[in-house]
Amino acid sequence: MTIRTTNLALAAAVAAASLMSVGAGAQTANTDKERCYGISMAGKNDCAATGNNSCAGQAKADYDAKAWKYVAKGSCMNMEVTLKDGMKRKGTLTPM
Amino acid sequence: MLARLEGGLADFQSGFAASLLSAEKVADRRFSVHRNNVKASLVAALAARFPVVSRLVGVEFFQAMALVFIERCPPRSPVLAAYGAGMGDFLDGFEPVADLPYLADVSRLEWGRRLAWHAADASTISIEALTAVEPDRLAGVRLDLHPAASVVASVWPVISIWTTNTGDEEARPIGPDWVGQSALITRPGLEVFVNALPPSAELLFRSLSAGVALGEAVARAEHIAGFETAAALSLLFRTGAVTSLAVE
Amino acid sequence: MTADRRPRGGLGAGAGLKPEHYRDILDGRPGVGWFEVHAENYMGTGNGAGGPPHFFLEQIRARYPLSVHGVGLSIGSAEGLAPGHLQRLAAVVDRYQPALVSEHLAWSTHAGVFLNDLLPLPYTEATLAVVVRHVDQVQSTLKRRILIENPSTYLRFAVEQMAETAFLCELARRSGCGLLLDVNNVFVSTANHDFDPTVYLADFPVEHIGEIHLAGHASIEVAGGESLLIDTHDRPVSDRVWALYQSLISRIGPYPTLIEWDSDVPTWARLSADVARAESLLSFEEGRHARAA
Repeated sequence: MTIRTTNLALAAAVAAASLMSVGAGAQTANTDKERCYGISMAGKNDCAATGNNSCAGQAKADYDAKAWKYVAKGSCMNMEVTLKDGMKRKGTLTPM
Repeated sequence: MLARLEGGLADFQSGFAASLLSAEKVADRRFSVHRNNVKASLVAALAARFPVVSRLVGVEFFQAMALVFIERCPPRSPVLAAYGAGMGDFLDGFEPVADLPYLADVSRLEWGRRLAWHAADASTISIEALTAVEPDRLAGVRLDLHPAASVVASVWPVISIWTTNTGDEEARPIGPDWVGQSALITRPGLEVFVNALPPSAELLFRSLSAGVALGEAVARAEHIAGFETAAALSLLFRTGAVTSLAVE
Repeated sequence: MTADRRPRGGLGAGAGLKPEHYRDILDGRPGVGWFEVHAENYMGTGNGAGGPPHFFLEQIRARYPLSVHGVGLSIGSAEGLAPGHLQRLAAVVDRYQPALVSEHLAWSTHAGVFLNDLLPLPYTEATLAVVVRHVDQVQSTLKRRILIENPSTYLRFAVEQMAETAFLCELARRSGCGLLLDVNNVFVSTANHDFDPTVYLADFPVEHIGEIHLAGHASIEVAGGESLLIDTHDRPVSDRVWALYQSLISRIGPYPTLIEWDSDVPTWARLSADVARAESLLSFEEGRHARAA
């Protein structure tokens, strides 16, 4: 393609893009809660002048990281994935 | 109970910090208040940062996983909002979630939204600014992208997974015909938007954000099947990803 | 630098500002004296600092006096202050021009790792020298006086050479900083160390006070039936802390007083009720001191 045709193609694309934009608006994938200025996103676990947890001292999160004993509980998504070992598995997000 | 100091302040703090981060049980319940404050508060911060990852693996699993993350990637800054940047790479290599290969990209999407929320503000321009440029000079235009704008490219349907686990009471199944999705994250005002980029348009985004001129950026992206210049440009402007342009 | 001795600093009673209450405050314009924010929540994430947190804070700052309370400077770190973090604090202070700036007598960073807790310091001459040097550094950078807060403590150290009150007094004298007296922290620490809070307050160098904090605490059981108080900021100020506060201000006069509530954040109505209670106590003392003068 010559420079000239590149410019024409680009100009056409820009013109088409501007037509696509009319009335389209920004699509959003946000929930209603987030639309409320997403305060829920900001309000949690800010830096605080104290240990954030009222359970302080109770060793609530007392896990032994070396002996891994938890399995992903997962939400009930039914999605087939191909793993590194080449195996296809379905519903891997249900309890293992 | 009195703890013993073994030397100067620096030695004291080294010993104290090592005991705080250690996984060994401590008999001193007073000391364990501090250890618990550190671990529980960081786990809670990560859970707030990655609610969809937490929902996907379950709260109990997430908390245990977060403790491993904290051990491997402790915060390097007192700004907790900036903690969690390494979660995607961590999940990529974390064996217990090997069966959830999309988890890392879901965390990257959540992290991108977090960065967008806190990024610097900037006003955006509409595509009319580009249509006003003479056709012969379009190829040399350079676009400035918004500080909040970023792309998470994935071979997994990350937007679908994120959406159903954010907005739906019960997550919907992802159909067998799913395709990989690239998410364009923007925050032109107070709201963070997540939009699917047209196939492979993330290359256009990356070229533009690296300062490549429009003609060259489009030419690079056009090598990739399925790329549509118009759709990609339309979306970038419409979602508030562009703040200004310079004509050479 | 000398201590700001103006009674109340013109501020009265204020509230810790939480994102949950941005809307209540901007829509309702409550008659609250001032708000305090944690500096670290307004430092962005490395890609500038904007978005909703600053959008709301700017509007609130336009209507109320503000206090910037740092929670992560680690002023007691032997390894020195992180220059990047001090610059971030300076940027927040520069942007919002707060009436008050404060930090904690504690440390929280070691070998570059942030431990996200206000960790205790042994009160020795060596520690004092480190903290004085760092307070100097902060005040020089910010070009203003800061206040340092007494911590909640759970541990004591055998090597200690002075009481916390003596340490704070020397710190204020040598560095010129003011003090933020957290009455809840006094109650928590003295209970944990089997000490009389009224004796602590009698020893406290009140001439350096620039601000007072009030907050809620929890009690947990420790092995052997012993209980320990934890500074949780997740509930109302306890009656015994209110009583200590009332007796303190009747002795020293009214000072800017903040209600802190950081976890299990209540409705604005609930939080502002505690602020109103502090305000009425302050007003009473202000009237009494004015008549006495």
